[in-house]
Amino acid sequence: MVRIPTNVLLVDDEKDFVEMLSLRLNEAGERVTPAYSGKECLDTLDKKNIDVVILDIKMPGMDGIETLKEIKRRFPLVEVIMLTGHGTTETAVQGMKLGAYDYLLKPADFVDLTSKLEGARKRKDEQMERIRKAEASFLVRRTGDI
Amino acid sequence: MEKGDIKLLLVDDEDEFRKTIANRLARRGLNPEQARTGEEALALLDQTPMDVVVLDVKMPGLNGIQVLELIKKQYPKTEVILLTGHATTQDGVEGIKLGAFDYLMKPVELEHLLGKIRQAHEKILREEEKAREAEFREKIEQQMVSCERLASLGTLAAGVAHEINNPLAIIKESTGWMKLLLTKPESAGMARKADFEKALGKIETSVERVRRITHQLLGFVRKEESALAEVDLDALVEEAVAMVAREASHKDIPIERKVDPAAGRIWSDPYQLRQVLLNLLTNAVHATERGGRIDVLVEKRGDEIALVVKDTGKGIPRENLDRIFEPFFSTKPPGQGTGLGLFVSRGIVEKLCGRIKVESKLGEGSSFSVILPRQCEIREDLKEDDRLQLLDKIRDIAKPIVR
Repeated sequence: MVRIPTNVLLVDDEKDFVEMLSLRLNEAGERVTPAYSGKECLDTLDKKNIDVVILDIKMPGMDGIETLKEIKRRFPLVEVIMLTGHGTTETAVQGMKLGAYDYLLKPADFVDLTSKLEGARKRKDEQMERIRKAEASFLVRRTGDI
Repeated sequence: MEKGDIKLLLVDDEDEFRKTIANRLARRGLNPEQARTGEEALALLDQTPMDVVVLDVKMPGLNGIQVLELIKKQYPKTEVILLTGHATTQDGVEGIKLGAFDYLMKPVELEHLLGKIRQAHEKILREEEKAREAEFREKIEQQMVSCERLASLGTLAAGVAHEINNPLAIIKESTGWMKLLLTKPESAGMARKADFEKALGKIETSVERVRRITHQLLGFVRKEESALAEVDLDALVEEAVAMVAREASHKDIPIERKVDPAAGRIWSDPYQLRQVLLNLLTNAVHATERGGRIDVLVEKRGDEIALVVKDTGKGIPRENLDRIFEPFFSTKPPGQGTGLGLFVSRGIVEKLCGRIKVESKLGEGSSFSVILPRQCEIREDLKEDDRLQLLDKIRDIAKPIVR
């Protein structure tokens, strides 16, 4: 079965980190777009179709939580995985209560990351599927046949 | 203060007068010693210290003023009340200049004398308390200074740890990338490939080591508030034991739990408590040989509860007992363990208003006790403005105790 690549938006102000992780994820079959700030992240979401955002919590300017809130407000179907360098998990939990799929502590284990990426992708797919079914059932009701 | 507690000495060469006063004072609850002369008085003071000395100014041999000077020199805390005659009121004034508490003119009214004696005694008590408070305050201030240093060190450590995590993440990704490249078919015939793989492996292990250290340090200096909750100690112990159960069973070490039902629940931070318990249990498992045993006890001790982790492991040599709580102190080979476990645990326990104690015997085992109150106002890092507030608060609490 052909694996469909996940459209990933990787958001972190550390350029080297973004570069190396993108290389690895692309090699693993995903399609990674980089962004280096909260603003860039939102601009990209406007233009590109993204499945999952991997979002660094601590960034200068618009921080991770603010960005997350905006993502969920404007692009509610996009899943978000938070990357936190904190030892504390309070911000991560806060983020999840705001709708993030999950979180990872930096430096993250690649296997953990890809596994959570898969989970986030799956959740998005399932939601899209439910939307399609809902659309289809309304069409049936209106016309009497599909 | 009971009158009978006042150590009083009456010094007067007029025997009748002196004995009468002594009797009348005795009837009022005081039991004064007596001396006829200055020399006698000083000899007595040499044997038994006195609180208050009532001293006649006019005596043969050493007169009152001379005795006063000698008393003040040798026993500065003793208060002296001079008894003067009409002709010797000057002496009274001079006496006060030389340190006498006060003077009374003969014939002396018993009530006045009694009053003066009491006042002199109260002065002594006040001076004692002031000295105690000053000592206490200095001790607390010293502790505050070292506490503050620790707190700011902790904040510094946290800041450094944060900063380290980013470049660490980059190293980790880069290493993972290189490892991946080495598995590609293009790399199959690469020269010295095994050497590269080996080196990369070492980098990865070291990155993991650094990660554990920074995470433990960050865990210790939690910026956010600790979560106060009612903690079911039985459940907490069960959870923690379950987490080390696999490792323990590998080594055939049974872990017995014994929870005193009277211990009940306490108000504390369950997450941090579990962290401490886990640390103690892990240490116990590592220290114990195959076939040994570990006991976890929860006991009620008066108003407090004690969490005890006992093992039959190799024990801790006496010279290390003080050091085990130091950061980065470890007897394990480098790379195994961070040397931070007990340092962090103690920090947490103290933050939760408790204390941690250790008893150990080489070759027999160790026992770590975490003693906690039923309730605690969890104290976060000491901030500059909280410092004085805390100091004053401690002083207020200490006042009745110090008395």
